[in-house]
Order: sequence, then structure tokens, then C-alpha cells
Amino acid sequence: MGIIECEGKTPRQINMAIKALIAAGETDIRVCHPAAYHNLGVALTVPVRVMFEGSVGYYCGGMGDGPTIAVQGSAGWGLAEGMMSGTVVVEKNAGNGAAAAIRGGTVVVRGDVSARAGISMKGGTVIVGGNVGYMTGFMMQKGTIIILGDAGAALGDSLYEGRIFIAGRISELGNDAVLAALSGDDERYLAETLAPFGYEVARYEFKKIEAGRKLWNFDKTDFATWKVAL
Amino acid sequence: MCGIMGYIGKTERQEAALGATMLRMLTALGRRGPDSAGIALYAHRADGAYHIRVKPSESADIDARVAEILRRVRTAARLCAHAHADEYLRLTLDSVSDPQALQESIESVHPDIEVISFGRALDLVKQVGSPENLEQRFGISRASGTHAIAHTRLSTESRIDLSHSQPFWAHGTLDVASAHNGHITNYHKLRRQYEQCGVRFYTENDSEIIGIYLCEAMQAGATFAEALQNSVQFFDGSFSYLAATASELGFAKDPFGFKPLIVAESDDYIAIATEEVALRAACGADVETWEPPAGTVRTWNVYQERDKHVPSPVLEAREAVAP
Repeated sequence: MGIIECEGKTPRQINMAIKALIAAGETDIRVCHPAAYHNLGVALTVPVRVMFEGSVGYYCGGMGDGPTIAVQGSAGWGLAEGMMSGTVVVEKNAGNGAAAAIRGGTVVVRGDVSARAGISMKGGTVIVGGNVGYMTGFMMQKGTIIILGDAGAALGDSLYEGRIFIAGRISELGNDAVLAALSGDDERYLAETLAPFGYEVARYEFKKIEAGRKLWNFDKTDFATWKVAL
Repeated sequence: MCGIMGYIGKTERQEAALGATMLRMLTALGRRGPDSAGIALYAHRADGAYHIRVKPSESADIDARVAEILRRVRTAARLCAHAHADEYLRLTLDSVSDPQALQESIESVHPDIEVISFGRALDLVKQVGSPENLEQRFGISRASGTHAIAHTRLSTESRIDLSHSQPFWAHGTLDVASAHNGHITNYHKLRRQYEQCGVRFYTENDSEIIGIYLCEAMQAGATFAEALQNSVQFFDGSFSYLAATASELGFAKDPFGFKPLIVAESDDYIAIATEEVALRAACGADVETWEPPAGTVRTWNVYQERDKHVPSPVLEAREAVAP
């Protein structure tokens, strides 16, 4: 186990210390007192385990390809932004744009997330144990968002592909986001995906949201739809 | 990319450390706004005196200017203390019959003169430079008080000088101040409307309009909470802002959640800041933080929060036996 103390270090020095431990063959790293610094644990491209013992700032775990990152506190904006593969688990809350534009991997936030979680995601899985804010899944193109709490306004606005499962209340669906029936495959998928993170699927009743596909092609006779969406 | 922060202390210990707490938050957010830093500190002052900070502005006849300001103040109020250092003329008044008339009288000495702060609970200092500079010049860490809001500025649209720095005291209304991160995009339209009604703008900074709107709404009968709530639809653009009066503090976030704002609430205090890094610097690692959803408005009555405070039995017991 490699241990890094953040006090007295800049975010760059912390990241360099993480990479130095990885280069020395370390596979398990504990980072103490991260104090909500930004850009921690970004661009890690090996299957290393990194535990942040406290809160992190913006872009934690961004651009990762393979690491398993755990955050014991909260996370700021852009958690795991642009991640390719790996797992990021936040024990408390996350700010705006969690899992923005991820292409793969799994992002889990056990508390609440603020606006635009999963915006423009192109793959991967986002699991939120609490509530999600405004415009969750905005323009997502692929992948899955699973919400165990309630959702704010404009849920799934202008999504192209991908799907959102939600157990709580939907305050408002976004443009061209529609409710769809859950299949047996969906239920198996939910059970398999949630179980490793300690969520029991039987405790929730999910609704499924996907694209209505009305915005896929421009139809000038249906201009009103576009006017609202844009 | 400014930084804003606010704090309400619910116990005497938090109140005594208010200035030091705010300095820790300001320093943590200093890199978000290196252009200027400022703080609006509120305290319950038993003497009931009025505190004014005037910017007389640099000029060759500065002494004559200050003398004329003092002469005018003495005719309208009971002046009990005054001090002129650097860019501020500080005045303490026992009583004043018409604060707004006095403000206008001071400012009419010369167009460059501005009353930066006027209140019975409020003392506001701001300057061009870093939070460290603010501390060096004004010793804000020694200040105690009930609540405070503060600002670090990265200027984007208007010039960098004392008047354009934040927080803004809402001219004309005692004790109301605001600090804003973002951009009010319907500012020019609203400004024209206000100017047609005779409202004076002191800067080209769009954030100045927040205090003007809040005071107008409250004068029309809205509560502080209602004024903040209505502002979310009244303003366009991106904003997270903090506002405070002698007894209340609150924040408003735009309906799109364009600007960050993180809140930490414990039994002892309420702390709000643009980034969690400031809350960690001020409040330590233990308190839970969260980002309120887009469009959220919250206000607190500072004195009610203090009354609600329930001392932690474990902590109090430990303190009782401490030497």
C-alpha cells in the first residue's frame, strides 16, 4: 500500500506522487487529506486502486482508462469527465457535470449529484444513490444512467441513444425523452449492475427513459418540436 | 471566474473567529479571482452607531475634500470618530436623521467620491489585490461578527479598481450587500430601465444591479427571501450570488446551474463557497457538503440560527474539564 499525504503539496505534486508510486509497481494507493483539491487522479491509464480519504475538487478521475478510484467524501464539478474505462465511486455528493462525456467504465455517486450528470456520455454506466439535478443525461449518446432517488427538471433532455432508469420521482422529462417499458433483460441488467455496489434491485421500482427519436431527423413540418428543443 | 463565500456563526466561538474563518476561505479562492478581494462583515454592535466608509479618491486637493466631507457630515449627523488612511475615509456617527440624504451630500462634494459602505451592522472593505493583501492592510482576521460575505474577483467586463470590486454595498439602503459570481446578461436592458427611474449606477460592473434590485423589491414590500426568490427569474445569465442584511444571509443560483456554489451546514455554522476547497480550508475535513440544484434560493435569519443552536453535550463536557 502506497500512502500520499496531501498537506503541503500542490495538486500537481500529488498527481506526480501517484504516478511515481504506479511506476514503482504499486497497485493500491491511499491519498490522505485531499482537501477538495482539483484535478486529482486524472489520466490514470493502468488498473490501479486509488483511495482519496476525504473530499476532492473538480475533474477527479477525469480521462481515466482502467483505474478504480474511491472518494470517501464529496466531489466537485466534472467527476470522471471523459473517462474511458475503470470505476469511480464517491461516498457522498457530487457537483455539476458528473461523468460528463464518459466513453466507458462505471461512475457511482452514493449521495446526490447536481445538474447535468452524464451530459453527452458516449458509453459507460452512471449510478446515483440519491437525487439528480437539472438536465441529467442531456444529449447522452450511449450508455446507461441509473438513478435510485428523484430527478430534477429536463431529465434526459435531447438524448440520442442510451437509457435512463429511475426509481424515484421525475419532476419533468426533457425534450424527446419518453418513458418505455422495462424488459426482462433490463431487470437482469439492473440487478447485475447494482449488486456489486451494494444496492438491492428488489427494493426499487424502476421506470425506463429513452429517446423518442423525434429529434433524430429534421422535419420542417414539425418545426414546433425543434423550436422548443433549441 | 470569481469566488464568493459566506458564513454564519451560530456560537460565540464561531463569531469570535469570523474574520479568521473568512480569510481562510478568501485565501483558498484567491486563485479564482486575483484582481481584487473584499469582505462585508456584520456584527451586532451595542452602541447602535452608524459606520461609513467613503472613497474620497486620489486628488491634489484631497485634504480639502476630506475637510469638506467632514463639514457636511457634522451639519447632518453627530460625528464621533473619523480616520483617513489610504483610500478610505472612515466615519462613525452616533446618530443621523436621514442616511440617504447624508450619503448624497457626501457624494456631491465631487463626482469621484463614493460612499463604499454605510450601515449599523455592516463594515465593508475591498481593494485591488489578493486576499493576503486585504489581510495585511485591514487585518480582517481579527474581526469578529455574526455573519459575512466575501468575494475574490477575476474581472471580465469592467475595469479593475476599488469601486468595481466586490462585495457591493447597495447604495441608499443601510447594511445590504451582495457578492456575485457570473454574468447578468440582461444588465444593460435593466440598467436603462433603472436609470430612466433615476437610479444612480456607480460602476460598469453588471453585479452592481443585484443590490439595486433586492433593495427595490424589499422597499416594495417583499421579504429578503422573496426578493432573492424573484431575482432568479428577473435576471438572465449565469449567477450564483450571496446577499446579506443586518440579520439575514442568503444565496440564489440561476435556473441552469451555470455557476457553482457549495454549502456546508453544521450545528455550529453555515458556510457557503464557490468551491469546496474553501469550505475544507475553513471548516476542516468532517463537515458534509453539497451543491444545491439549479435555481435554488435559500436564506437564513442569523439570529434565529443562533437561537436554534443546541450545544453538543460531548463537546461542552470536554470543554468544561479543559484547563
